[in-house]
Order: sequence, then structure tokens, then C-alpha cells
Amino acid sequence: MRFADAVEFALASLRKRRLRTFLTASGVTIGIGALVSMISFGKGMQKNVTQAFKASDLFTTIMVMPGGAEVPSADPDRQRPSMKATDRPDAVLDDASVAAISKIPGVQTAYPDIGFPAMVGFAGKEEFRLVQVVPFVVAASSALKIKWGRAYGSDDEEGVVVSRSLLRRLGAADPAAAVGKTIRITSVSIDIGRLATLNLGSLLSGEASPVAQATYEFPILGVTEVSAFGGEANLTESAVMIPPGPAKRIKRLPFSSVWDLFRMRDGRMGYSAVTVKLGSLRDLNSVRSRIHDLGFATFALADQFEEITRAFYFMDMILAAVGMIAIVVAALGIVNTMVMSILERYREIGVMKAVGAGDGDIRRIFFFESGAIGLAGGLAGCVLGWATSLLINRVVNFYLARQGVPFIDYFAFPLWIFLGAIGFSLLVSLVSGIYPARRAARVDPVVALRHD
Amino acid sequence: MSTNAPLLVEAKGLTKTYLVGDVRVAALDGVTLAVPEGRFVAVTGASGSGKSTLLNLLGGLDTPSEGTIEVGGALVSAMDREALARYRRFAAGMIFQSFNLVAARTALENVELPLIFAGVDRKERKHRAAELLDQVGLAQRANHRPPELSGGEQQRVAVARALANGPRLLLADEPTGNLDSRTAREIVGLLAGLNREKALTVIMVSHEESLVREYAHEIVRLKDGRIVATESPA
Repeated sequence: MRFADAVEFALASLRKRRLRTFLTASGVTIGIGALVSMISFGKGMQKNVTQAFKASDLFTTIMVMPGGAEVPSADPDRQRPSMKATDRPDAVLDDASVAAISKIPGVQTAYPDIGFPAMVGFAGKEEFRLVQVVPFVVAASSALKIKWGRAYGSDDEEGVVVSRSLLRRLGAADPAAAVGKTIRITSVSIDIGRLATLNLGSLLSGEASPVAQATYEFPILGVTEVSAFGGEANLTESAVMIPPGPAKRIKRLPFSSVWDLFRMRDGRMGYSAVTVKLGSLRDLNSVRSRIHDLGFATFALADQFEEITRAFYFMDMILAAVGMIAIVVAALGIVNTMVMSILERYREIGVMKAVGAGDGDIRRIFFFESGAIGLAGGLAGCVLGWATSLLINRVVNFYLARQGVPFIDYFAFPLWIFLGAIGFSLLVSLVSGIYPARRAARVDPVVALRHD
Repeated sequence: MSTNAPLLVEAKGLTKTYLVGDVRVAALDGVTLAVPEGRFVAVTGASGSGKSTLLNLLGGLDTPSEGTIEVGGALVSAMDREALARYRRFAAGMIFQSFNLVAARTALENVELPLIFAGVDRKERKHRAAELLDQVGLAQRANHRPPELSGGEQQRVAVARALANGPRLLLADEPTGNLDSRTAREIVGLLAGLNREKALTVIMVSHEESLVREYAHEIVRLKDGRIVATESPA
């Protein structure tokens, strides 16, 4: 029997039982559709996060901490790893060491992380935020995505850059209109003189409090865009960025975390952290080892990217597993349909054998039949998965757009997803067809011809 | 027709037993039969005498429990499943009481079936199938499906199909059982004509001896799985 004839036989039989073929193929379609949209979602997330990381220069950023210090963490019980044995507890991150780090080949800029808590006010509303001191070279680099307005032109320009999400919280819906307007930064400092004469009575009455407040006003020069994938926190985890010049004028506490107080007690005054920007990711390891030689601890996000990749791999597996459930159900549907088909065509199989069909011919006809169901289901499943993803993407973006998140494709469709899905569907249907095809081939013609 | 023509079919000690519960039942019990090429042999007997079992064994649809079958020099009783399929495809055409046509396929497509399994290409097999239908007088019914044909027409399609790959042996299992007497005579006449004109060897099973007397060179009577009489009416 020729290949084309076997295909024609299979298709003729499927055409004859249109509804059942359609229903069985629909099962495959749903299964493959689920698998395609699940995997494309996983790939979409991975693509977006990877792109956001790459675009935000986070890969080329190294955080340098004083030797013996833990990396600042929101949760002191969960310290980040990457402490090195080379760390020296006595290494202090002062201006001299920042200058030394800047000179390491491959380093673009190195600047101390200086930030202080402040009340940020705009048009009547106030928010408590960390104000980050960011040098001009960094603010002007691609690390900061300023969508409205501009970055400050020098380290001494009077002005700040704020994030769009902060503006939104402060009630400014239109970021473009906010550029040029004035923002208030209220900082807190402690009057050491009053601290010395402090007693409980005066503290409770509120007079003679050692805490002093000062308010400064700056024009908003630029507004950064919010991104759904950590774009906002790309540079500083802060919503207000101020150049070093005007920052010096602001009276504030000389520390931003309790850890700084311990360092002060030990007489090791220095910056809590220094951010190092690299020109290229290739220099990462060499620069890090040089910094370690200076006795400092480092933390690079590039380390964590492998973990993130592993997490995505895991996520893909889970998404694929969910999709697989639908595929297994669809495969059982194919087996069921094919076995039913054998029973219905029992006599026909006998006739075909009587006129000379071999076991292989019968096997092939049934095998092709289930393969055709799989192929049709796979093709339709790709369309379904694609269309569903498109719809979900629209809906999700519609809601996120209201929260100021720009349009993002949450699904990615590399060609291999479709080719893989069709191939996989074909494979599943052929495997499902093995048992029915063998069973059909074993039909005894004498019994089948007696069969009504 | 000379009787010293070479043997086409030679069956020796054919036995077919079935296990019914714990009891072994012999449907065929030591049948020995020799059919020279070009003969028309009728096998008669009451129902249950083993006629159909004998025909299924000769047609390669079933395998004997004991004994040997040789057709055209090939030992059919020793063939494996694949060789038997080839034997059915090329060497032995069969027709049945209930016609056994595929209802979803037209007369022409039914005749094409053995040619498809033989791997004949589309154009060639359409041509050959049309020719065969013409031979049995159904050229104008080629594109009708079996349910649209009369019983006699359906059996003619079955005959054309049985001859598709040019076998030398035609096995007919009660081919007239579902037909009225006039149509039955037509079909037997058709088989006799093929036997005469194409030297086709025909073995036909029938419980109606009167129907075959006119054409059969030999009548073999079966009873309880054994041959009880052999007669040459001509």
C-alpha cells in the first residue's frame, strides 16, 4: 500500500465521522492551546525580565560594601550571600577607597550610596521616601530612564529627578506637566546641643526637642518611567534623585540605617556602600577580584541572574506540566476514538484483509488516522493558544495601563514554540495510535466477516 | 476440459478444530481434495457440514489445525500472516454470501481495494477497475455505492474485486445465498463464463446442488466435516 493511499484512507474515514473527529481534535486543540499559551507566557516573562535587567545596566553594576559588613538588606535575618574570605573588617569605604576603585581598569564610575529619609511634598500631598544622592555621570547615563524632562546637567545643578509612581502617589497624574514645578524635601536632623540637655519632661512636652526639621525646595527636572519589570528600581531603589551639590546643603542625619550607627561606634566612618558601574560585563570578574584585594565585599546582580534563570526554568516546567494535563486528557480521547473506530469498522477491517490487506496496511491506516487528528489539533491549538494569549495580553494591559504601566507583551512566541507544539501534538497522537493500530491489525478476518 | 491438467489446489488431510468450552469440535476432519487448473468445483452440504471452513482455509483467511494446502506450488498452510495476506491479494480471490463490499466506497473504489493493497498507482488501478466492472457488466454503475445497487449487482462488483489482481483461483462462499433464483442463476452463469473463457479455477460452495449441476465439473459433498461423495456430473 502506498503512503498517499494510506493517508487518503485515513482522511476518508475521518471525514465520514466528522463530528467525532472534530470533537477529538478539539480536545487536542485545547491541550496544545493551553501548552502553547503557558510556554509563551513563561518565555514572555523571561524575555521581559531579562530585557529589563539588561536595559537597566544592572548586570554591569557591582555593589561594594565595607569589609565585614553584611550587604544592606531589608530583612536583617536574611543576609544576602557573597561574603568573601578576603574581606577585611578594617577596610573602610572612604573617599580614598572610592577613588581607588574608580581607577580599576574596566570601571566606568564609582560613587558612594548616600541616601537619607525625607518627607517629600508636592502640591499639598506628602510621602515618606528615601532621597538618593546620585552623581551627574550616573544620572545622565542610560541607567536612568528619564521619559519626561531631563537629567540634571552637573553635580551642582539645583533640581531633582523623581519617578512617575511617586508623582502619581502625590496626586500628579500628568508627569509632563510636573516638570519644572517645585517639590519640597523635608529632612530631619538631631541637634546635638539639645540632645545633651535633654530630659524626659521637656521631651514629652514637645519643647526643646533635639529633632529639627528643615524644608528645601527644588524644581523637578525630569521624571522616570515606571516599568512593570523593575525598571523603576533599576538604579537606586529610590523615587527621588538629587545631585551631590545641593544634597550637601540639606541638614540631615549622617546615617540612614542602624548599621551605620554600629560602624560609627567602632570608629570606622565611611560610606555604607559604593556603587560601581562597569563599561562591559566582561570586566565583572576582574574588577571584583581587584575590589576584593582592597578588602571589600561585593555583590553583583549578575550572580543572581543564574538563579533567576533557574527559577524561570522551574516556572516553565510547572507551566508545561499544567499544559501536559490537558494533553494527556486529549491523548486518552484519541485512544478512545480510535478504539471505537475499530469496533465500528470491524467488518470493514475483515473485508480489507480478505481482499489482501496485510497487518502493516491496516496498522498504517489507523496510525495515520490518529496522526491526522493530532496534526489538525496541533495546528488549531497553535492558533487557539496564540489567540488566547493575545486576548489575555490585551485585557491585562488594559487594566495595567490604568495604573500607568506601559504596554508590555507578556507572551513571547518564538517560532520553535509553534513548531514544537505541532511536532509534539503529532508525536502524542501517534503514540496514542499505537495501541489501536496494533489492535486493528490483529483482527481475525474470519471472525470479522461473520460480524454484523 | 482435460482432466490431466496440472493440479492448482492440493489439500491433504485438512482438519480444523475449535475449542468450544472444554470440548474439541472438528469443523473439518481430514479432508483431502485435488483440483486441477481450470476446473469448476462445487462443494455442497448441509449447513454446519464444514463448507465455509474449507473455503476459508483454501482462501488463506484461516489456518488448518492439521494437514497441508498447496496452491500453484506454494505451501499455503505454512505461510505466516504477511505471506497469507499476499496470497489473498494475488493468488486467491474470494466472494461471499453477504457480498462484503465497503458501503462508503463506490463500486469502482471497491474493485480498486486489492489494487491499492498491491501498490498499483492511481491511474493504472482506475483503468483496471473500470475494465473489470465492464467485464461483469456494470460499467454504467461504477460510481454508485453498494446501497444503491441490487443484490445481483453487488455480487458482480464483488466478483470484479476478487479478480482485480488476476488470481488463477476464485473461491465463492454461498454467492447466491442472498439472491432470488433468477439472479442466482445469473451469478452462477457469470462464474461459469469466467471459468470457461479465462480458464479461471472456481471452487464454489452452495447448499443448492441443483443450481451448480449445470456448470460444475465436479461436485464434492461434505457431511460433518468429511467428504462423503465426489461426483462428476458432466
